[in-house]
Amino acid sequence: MNPYLIVIPAYNEEKNIAGVLRGLGEIDLPADILVVNDGSSDETSAICRREEIMVLDLPFNIGYGGAIQTGFLFARDFGYEFVITFDGDGQHSPDSVIALIDTMRREGADVVIGSRFIEGTYQMGVFRKMGVRLFSAITRFFTGTTFSDPTSGFQLLKRGIFSYLSQGDNYPLDYPDANMIIAMHKKRFKLAEAPVKMREKRGKSMHGGLRPVIYVIRMFLSIAVVLMRKEEKEP
Amino acid sequence: MTFGTRLFIFVCGVILFMTIFELVRRKRLREELSIVWLLAGLGLILSSFADQLIDPLAFGLGISYPPALAFIVVVLLLAFVMLYFSIVVSDLKSRNKELSQKMALMEFRLARLHKEE
Repeated sequence: MNPYLIVIPAYNEEKNIAGVLRGLGEIDLPADILVVNDGSSDETSAICRREEIMVLDLPFNIGYGGAIQTGFLFARDFGYEFVITFDGDGQHSPDSVIALIDTMRREGADVVIGSRFIEGTYQMGVFRKMGVRLFSAITRFFTGTTFSDPTSGFQLLKRGIFSYLSQGDNYPLDYPDANMIIAMHKKRFKLAEAPVKMREKRGKSMHGGLRPVIYVIRMFLSIAVVLMRKEEKEP
Repeated sequence: MTFGTRLFIFVCGVILFMTIFELVRRKRLREELSIVWLLAGLGLILSSFADQLIDPLAFGLGISYPPALAFIVVVLLLAFVMLYFSIVVSDLKSRNKELSQKMALMEFRLARLHKEE
């Protein structure tokens, strides 16, 4: 069995998933690929099965974070050493996986977060940029380390941390963000960030209408809860 | 309160109480969730006589229009009922997530077993 598991949460990604799998197949890494089909109503699952990729079919849509957590559960149960979370929409560049692994080795980190802002010229709207800067500053305030891209879903995690996150409510159902970085720091896991390449998002985004405002409020609440939550005793 | 009003509130309370009771009897509503509604029905029945209590209490609290006190009590009670059900929904959502995750993993294992056979 390979030590690495690439977890791809996918919800109605029939247009992108084959390209994502092809791209990942080209990198030289001892890794298995797992697609967590988050209740898609399209051909996502069938496409992955045709490509002989491992697929977990969730019976209904439980959200991005819930799908990732299902991947963590799988990796824990099947004895993987590392998990790489990789988006199913073709946004993440497969070549950048190597940068995550190099950073983990060099820094001795438990988790490495891929940042699209360290290198390259990633373009995004003014409000999104403001949101990213705000949560980056909050994360720096509480962890003492700069995470330039706290919303990034492109991460590499060691067994100890993904086993912890696979339990109960240790991982959020929706989008993990600065709240998770602060929570992991609080649990004394060592975090680092690495430069990765990401393509600009195509099609519809979750950042439209009133959603960004609600998202920011929810994230503040979530961070407050993380900070106030008492440390559980280690078993 | 006129006799007519008193009777109307009393009958509404009794209907609510009986409906809840019937839903529980037919197993359409779980017992533990019915308690808050049974209490609400009981409260409605009792409120048909509540002016005897509410009027002096409201004047004592400086509320010049006693029904306002009744409204405050009802609004607070409903807020607690909603909070209770939000807790139930949150709990169900967590369990739902865990069940769906376990189901997906078990399906995977089962398919693998079939393949090996």
